[in-house]
Amino acid sequence: MPSPDSEAALSASKLRALSPLIKRRDLIRTALFASVASALGPAFSFAQAASLELTPAARGEDGSNFLTDPNWKAVFLNDQQNETLIALSDVIIPATETPGAKEALVNRYLDLLLSVQPTEFQQQFMDALNFIDAESQKQFGRDFRALVPDDQRSLLTPWAYPRQGSTWMEEDEQPDPAHQHFARLKALIASGYYGSEIGQKELGWEGGFTNGVYEGCQHPPTTHT
Amino acid sequence: MTRDVLQQKYDAIVVGSGATGGWAAKRLSEAGLKVALLEAGRSVTPKEFTEHLPSFKLKYRNHSPEVLRTRPIQKQCYACMEYNYEWFVNDLENPYSTPPDRPFTWQRLRILGGRSLVWGRQSYRLSDVDFKAASRDGYDVDWPFAYADLAPFYDIVERYVGISGAAEKDEMLPDGQFLPPMKMSCGEVRLREAIKAKFGRTLTIGRTAILTQPHNGRVPCHYCGPCERGCMTFSYFSSPFTTVKDALNTGNCTLITDAVVSHVDMDTSTNKTKGVTFINRTTKETKQVRGKAVILCAQALESTRILLNSSTPEYPNGLANSSGLLGHYLMDHVVGADASGTFVDMDELPTANPPHRPNGIYVVRYRNTPATGKHPHFIRGYGFQGGASPRFNTDAPGIGAEYKKAVKLGTYHVSLGAFGESLANFDNFCEIDPDLKDVWGIPALRISMAHGNNEAALMRDAGVTAAEMLEAAGAKDIHVRTGVEMPGMAIHEVGTARMGNNPKKSVLNAFCQSHDVHNLLVTDGSCFVSSACQNPTLTMMAITVRACDHLVERFRRNEV
Repeated sequence: MPSPDSEAALSASKLRALSPLIKRRDLIRTALFASVASALGPAFSFAQAASLELTPAARGEDGSNFLTDPNWKAVFLNDQQNETLIALSDVIIPATETPGAKEALVNRYLDLLLSVQPTEFQQQFMDALNFIDAESQKQFGRDFRALVPDDQRSLLTPWAYPRQGSTWMEEDEQPDPAHQHFARLKALIASGYYGSEIGQKELGWEGGFTNGVYEGCQHPPTTHT
Repeated sequence: MTRDVLQQKYDAIVVGSGATGGWAAKRLSEAGLKVALLEAGRSVTPKEFTEHLPSFKLKYRNHSPEVLRTRPIQKQCYACMEYNYEWFVNDLENPYSTPPDRPFTWQRLRILGGRSLVWGRQSYRLSDVDFKAASRDGYDVDWPFAYADLAPFYDIVERYVGISGAAEKDEMLPDGQFLPPMKMSCGEVRLREAIKAKFGRTLTIGRTAILTQPHNGRVPCHYCGPCERGCMTFSYFSSPFTTVKDALNTGNCTLITDAVVSHVDMDTSTNKTKGVTFINRTTKETKQVRGKAVILCAQALESTRILLNSSTPEYPNGLANSSGLLGHYLMDHVVGADASGTFVDMDELPTANPPHRPNGIYVVRYRNTPATGKHPHFIRGYGFQGGASPRFNTDAPGIGAEYKKAVKLGTYHVSLGAFGESLANFDNFCEIDPDLKDVWGIPALRISMAHGNNEAALMRDAGVTAAEMLEAAGAKDIHVRTGVEMPGMAIHEVGTARMGNNPKKSVLNAFCQSHDVHNLLVTDGSCFVSSACQNPTLTMMAITVRACDHLVERFRRNEV
């Protein structure tokens, strides 16, 4: 058994070279773990590592499996609500040169998330979804999910920017339910998207957990002052 | 656990395996004493570290209902997550109470290493402005020792732990034995230069217990970011893989996990402790372990709880409490003031890729210093932690392709958050709640603490001056908060068994030894006389080493 010090002396560059990282992670852990176990001696009870007192993440469970389950079924949303959510997420964060919220299965994550939220939170979400359909009916005579994409964008866009009071009536800015409903949905969809693997890649993540030393500011003094 | 482990008589019993307990076990066992190290939780292995697991692999992406159900209080700390919540106590099993109008959040870990597994790692020395604060402003009392007495022990701890940081020669924050500092971002350099030029204040890179070069057999940080989920290369300091490992390697230290200590046992004929009683965490059997000295390192409130639960006919109000001060003078840094803004002319873009620097910046205290003089509205002072970096802007307006672009363009965010001194106040205290027990049947604490007018004044001033500093650096869209958060939020609780030279006015002497019971020590944050405004763990560790070296001397002189 190598000494813990030599085994732990995996340089950052070696770690970086390991790929695919998620699978190799377990190898590194096992190696470090074994060496530390021998160094620490019998006083440590490693049998406990298998105990239930570990989080699912610490047990190595991939909690994201449900997303791609071929038999996936919503646990909170009904079919119509699910379709509305997919349509909304596709308009708010569409596929461009990169995949969008629909590909990231944001609806499935949000369905799970909503299922464990307090009733008030769930109700606010439902109110927002119902508001979208009611406005869609009012303006276009159909539910949101049945609109053509141009009309979907047209419906949402005014709520996607800060509201201005009337410049004609010298109206003060009032809290606006439409903006609040929309902001709630957009924030959820954005967190579901940017929190997904697709979303992390959209933000530049290349799959690694280490990439050299933080170099910080390389400029001469007073460059920024 | 074998029978032998409990039948042995140890020289020293150390209760708690965190930052201070690890040091006590290491120092005493390396000096040749036979040590039993008791930890209330289970052992920990690097196998359960999750620092490299992306959050999208978590089922609820850190919104697990199980965390909310079992850790509603622990969840108030950012470090208690879907990744690692099992390290934190189950609030349903570990109750405590507070008066309705005096809420307090108590963040606790029961696992080998305790809070050193998830701590913020910021490591700052106190100075004589702190140790002798009372002499300067007349409030309360000085510490029973001076900076010069503790400095050699700061050196020992820093050299072993590995603190990266930059020397600044600022009298409010003594320099230490530093590893090379981490680098600052462009925005942080701008802020540093601006506030030095305009206000003469010092902004330095966070002094942190994270390695920036190989050190004592550990490798430097690989900048993955979330230290609080563990570190497979042990590059940040946590006790299981450093001090506790060293202690066990001496062959003189026996680790007993799952030992929930209920009380200290006294030999009334000699007025000495003879050991502790604990309850096995899983089997709930009651057991004793015997030793010549007991060192409590269970965390300020927990050590105090053990002593309050150790009453005898001779000490009816809690062991080592002839002063009546045990549990009083509870302090926790006041937080709640901050300022944030954006630098609009920085062109650096945010990225989700590493390296992620697990450290921020620190603004050294500038109020009520020898250089700045007495402030008209409050005593003592505050420091800031903060940072400046480009961030993704998911709050960007719009929808569609434009929104996706705006998110990635981001904003260059800058912020400073204050940690203020919490004044020692007799009326901030903990006591045993007569009606509340944990699941092991051990009486639980009632914690009664509120920040006062001085803390509120500190936070008002901190919010205002933070905004002024951001403005001086050219930040826009500045937001300010000047509130006072609930006590406990800083997770820097100290002071419940204060040190002092007068046994009537303190619980412990200058070497953390009980005035009443000479073979009983408390070396965690309980012993603090004042809170200063610097993060306390480094000082707790230095005090522990000093107290343990003193105890070893007493063993050598056969005084224990």
